[in-house]
Amino acid sequence: MLDYLIRRLFGTVPVLLAVAAFVFLFVHLLPGDPARLVAGPDATPQDIAAVRADMGLDQPLIVQFVRYLGQTVQLNLGRSIKTHQTVAELIGERFMPTLLLTVFAMLWSVIVGVGVGVLSGVKRGRWQDQLAMVLAISGISFPGFWLGLLLIDLFSVRLGWLPTGGYGGWQNFVLPAFTLGTAVAAVMARFTRSAFVEITAEDYVRTARAKGVPERGVVWKHTLRNALIPVITLTGLQFGFLLGGAIVVETVFAWPGLGRLLVDSVSYRDYPVIQAEILLFSFEFVLINLLVDLLYAVVNPEIRLR
Amino acid sequence: MSELTLDAPALRSPSAEFWRRFRRKRVAVVSGCVLLAIILSTIAAPWIAPYGPAAPDYDNVLAGPSWQHLCGTDTFGRDIFSRILWGGRISLTVGFVSVALGGLAGVALGLVSGFFGGLWDSVIMRLMDVLLAFPGILLAIGVVALLGPGIDNVIYAIAVFSVPVFARLVRGSTLALKQMLYVQAARSIGVRAPMLMLQHILPGTLPSVIVYCSLRVGTSILTAAALSFIGLGAPPPSPEWGAMLAEGRSYLGVADQITLFPGLAIFVTVLAFNLLGDGLRDALDQRLR
Amino acid sequence: MRHTVSRTLLAVALTLGLSGAARAAKDLVVGIPVNLTGLDPADLNDNASQSAARLMFEGLYNLDEHMQLQPQLAESYEATEDAKEFTFHLRKGVTFHDGTPFNAAAVKFSFDRAGNPENHLKRQSLYVMIDHTDAVDDYTVRVVLKYPFGAFVNDIAHPGALIVSPKSVQQYGKEVTRHPSGTGPYEFVSWTADTLRMKKNEHYWRSGQPNVDTVTYRSVPENGARIAMLQAGEAQFIYPVPPELIASLQNSPTITVFDEPSILGRYVALNVMRKPFDDPRVRLALNYAVDKQAFIKVVFSGHADTMDSPMPQLLPFHQKQGSYSYDPAKAKALLAEAGYPNGFESTLTGISDTLAQRGMQFIQQQLAAVGVKVNVEPLEAGVLTAKQFNVTGPQDATIVMNFGAWSSSTGDADWGIRPIAYTKSFPPVLANLAWYSNPVTDAGIEAGLATVDPDKRAAAYAQAQAQVWRDAPWIFVDVDHSLAAYSKKLHGAFMRPDLQFYLRTDASLD
Repeated sequence: MLDYLIRRLFGTVPVLLAVAAFVFLFVHLLPGDPARLVAGPDATPQDIAAVRADMGLDQPLIVQFVRYLGQTVQLNLGRSIKTHQTVAELIGERFMPTLLLTVFAMLWSVIVGVGVGVLSGVKRGRWQDQLAMVLAISGISFPGFWLGLLLIDLFSVRLGWLPTGGYGGWQNFVLPAFTLGTAVAAVMARFTRSAFVEITAEDYVRTARAKGVPERGVVWKHTLRNALIPVITLTGLQFGFLLGGAIVVETVFAWPGLGRLLVDSVSYRDYPVIQAEILLFSFEFVLINLLVDLLYAVVNPEIRLR
Repeated sequence: MSELTLDAPALRSPSAEFWRRFRRKRVAVVSGCVLLAIILSTIAAPWIAPYGPAAPDYDNVLAGPSWQHLCGTDTFGRDIFSRILWGGRISLTVGFVSVALGGLAGVALGLVSGFFGGLWDSVIMRLMDVLLAFPGILLAIGVVALLGPGIDNVIYAIAVFSVPVFARLVRGSTLALKQMLYVQAARSIGVRAPMLMLQHILPGTLPSVIVYCSLRVGTSILTAAALSFIGLGAPPPSPEWGAMLAEGRSYLGVADQITLFPGLAIFVTVLAFNLLGDGLRDALDQRLR
Repeated sequence: MRHTVSRTLLAVALTLGLSGAARAAKDLVVGIPVNLTGLDPADLNDNASQSAARLMFEGLYNLDEHMQLQPQLAESYEATEDAKEFTFHLRKGVTFHDGTPFNAAAVKFSFDRAGNPENHLKRQSLYVMIDHTDAVDDYTVRVVLKYPFGAFVNDIAHPGALIVSPKSVQQYGKEVTRHPSGTGPYEFVSWTADTLRMKKNEHYWRSGQPNVDTVTYRSVPENGARIAMLQAGEAQFIYPVPPELIASLQNSPTITVFDEPSILGRYVALNVMRKPFDDPRVRLALNYAVDKQAFIKVVFSGHADTMDSPMPQLLPFHQKQGSYSYDPAKAKALLAEAGYPNGFESTLTGISDTLAQRGMQFIQQQLAAVGVKVNVEPLEAGVLTAKQFNVTGPQDATIVMNFGAWSSSTGDADWGIRPIAYTKSFPPVLANLAWYSNPVTDAGIEAGLATVDPDKRAAAYAQAQAQVWRDAPWIFVDVDHSLAAYSKKLHGAFMRPDLQFYLRTDASLD
């Protein structure tokens, strides 16, 4: 087990480094002087010189990269061109809203998605299954931003039950979390159903049935536990989708989170913020996948032996 | 012990077999027809659209659906139905071209990686891992931030994040097919690597690639619309569906037709691609098993 | 482990719920469309931040809700006949929020600091005319100018000339933008992400004021979200209200709609140093090609006025010039005469907000009808200002048609025309984005500035306006309305004609 853990961890490091390299190269790939791009259009010549020294632009690229890594680890991520706050401060302010939104969206999508998937699997072929699957495939085809707008139109503008956006009490979370989680819930439902169906057909389940184990027992003990394994993996993968979806949903609901910050920064060409955000999002994604893989190993003993 | 009768299996070519199974899936067939209709009507937009994509009519702004304007009009009195047809060309082009580009690159990389193995495999797969480390739309946003906004760059951006998925898929198939008898046989008679890959292995990977393409086009259209919606894709006055939704946002509750119809267009198109892809996958799955 | 998780979740949920629910009686929440950029008055360019700064800082003079000059930290002033020396008599008994006294030394410090080019503060151009400032005694300040400047008192009533506490600058240096300390009716509490909190200044020099306990600015870019905030009672004042939604608010029993003419003029600056805009016939043609009435109807749902002079109607010394009526045939004829019978292609650049994009698209459609094919290029604020002002001279200009607007934030005629039509106002100095230069116009502008005599100024600005109108370096589009909405319980809050939020010190909430 430990062996596997260590191997996996080591496998992640090159990926993280490569991601950091891409982000680092970002300002160098753009046309123009990197120091000027990072300092911003308002910068005085002194500011630009200061940034140039900070980035160590006169040194070989690899040295600059190491320097960049060092600064990042110390959370020295530069200054926003637009607001002149440190990027670390900016991100710190917006971290919680995005985290909470993503967590709530994940919760609802897992609970409802897996629940619906299991229901579908159990009632396979019957109308509950058909309906659920129709909803599921609609869920993944529905443009998230349109769903958000429709919900705002209905529940905020016309009925006045919920706020149209912004961060605040639980009412503010309802629509954004629902919108964000829908596509993931749909994928979960489909996947859980097919995993469920596959496993029910497996020999050992048939054996259990033949042995006379009550249906309930078959479902819960054998099928569910084994179907959950791929579902756990899927959860990790879907988290990436949630992170990406948060970007759009935050824009629709005026949510003061990391996603909206990214969109604003790209429009504004606020490069220090763009770089830090891309790095943050990717790292989160890689680390979640790592966690999921490890969880998978814990749950599925076969993996450990490899 | 029951009697086992051996019937000679009906001699049908694989593709005919596939068609037979596919035809049975009515939902998928209907989706395919709907898609065909959508594609044809957007291609024919210049001839069948009642109005141009940017033709204003200041006396008729924000009008609801009527016989003259099937989907109503927007802020400038432009006909929404026509704009949807014109915009469809953009959305569908982005969908197809980005998947074609990404698919081509991905398939090539997957073939090489799976076939040669060793260092090629490690390097290529590591690279794909890095690309997969970025959540899809984030990579697209990163590419757009690098290249600048605009529909061309959106195509490249989406193509880029499609590559690793195809590569992984094709690598998996290649690994499996490499072991097959007919490949071994070809090798033993001295067929060279490129030939082997192209003529013997590639056709075997195609079925799953095609299925995936269909599903991927749906995702691409959604992503392109999302990028336009947040302002990083097609600039105004482009009738791209996502851009139309962004423009209509200010009029929620006042003139819902501006968001309703483009949204429906995106939904129906993507749904059709997904249903088609599902149907194709089901029809092919049994063949592979 | 599971218990801790659920308890934590519960705590989080409760905190979120409670923080949303708790609201004391006299708290004013203002919904603004953008994020603030800073709170150092000498370094602000945008309306939102300036209006926030105005609640915490004060100037020697102030422009009230009708853009009328009122004494604030100064009780009176005298000016020499040649408009080169201004002496201000300061108010006694005023302290800054950090406890230091307000006196002539503080005024001198503020002026010197903001006017010093080495500090690179954005509002430095408001002080260029100052030669030196003297603190004659603790409560008398004399400002000597390098040249006559009749509009000086309006100039220092600008939010860029608010007086800052010298101690705060010495203590915080560049970070003073996040640690504001002024003499205003409200004190700084906190500023995070999109929320600025201020509380009542208990030692404010106007006794008995302010009546409002706290003022909070919340940045909510989404129009629909801002309106919902107002309707739900989460905010008591929001701006701007998009013109297309004004109608839906007008019948509300709890909300008052504010819809007044402003001094913001919108126009398309044509780069007169580039073909084909160097030909006056082309510029006139474009003016005839745009239907201004339709523009107002389509883009502003009727909530705007036509522009009948280079200076908006509410500005002092405005003189009506006439109108370029909608006449596409005439436009085409003029274009043909100028050598462009089949029109030409060009690019229209502007900011990427919803209204501007709508306006640009409209202009694009109108010009297309006379054969001029225009590409629309919407850009975000930072990118746009870089393109406009990162130039050393006209040869560097990359913009040929600029969809923009200007308002005289000093409320004076001078600032309404000099920054956009004077030869010495080429970028990067000021905003003459048309690169327009005419000695007759220049003479009028200079004469208007050189005296405080209103008759002489009226004549000077009449000359300048007439010349600019004739030369038509811009497509004259419209003069916006100030559009806002507020709770009927709120009294004393306004949108000034320069589109800045203004809260009277005697404002109150029922």
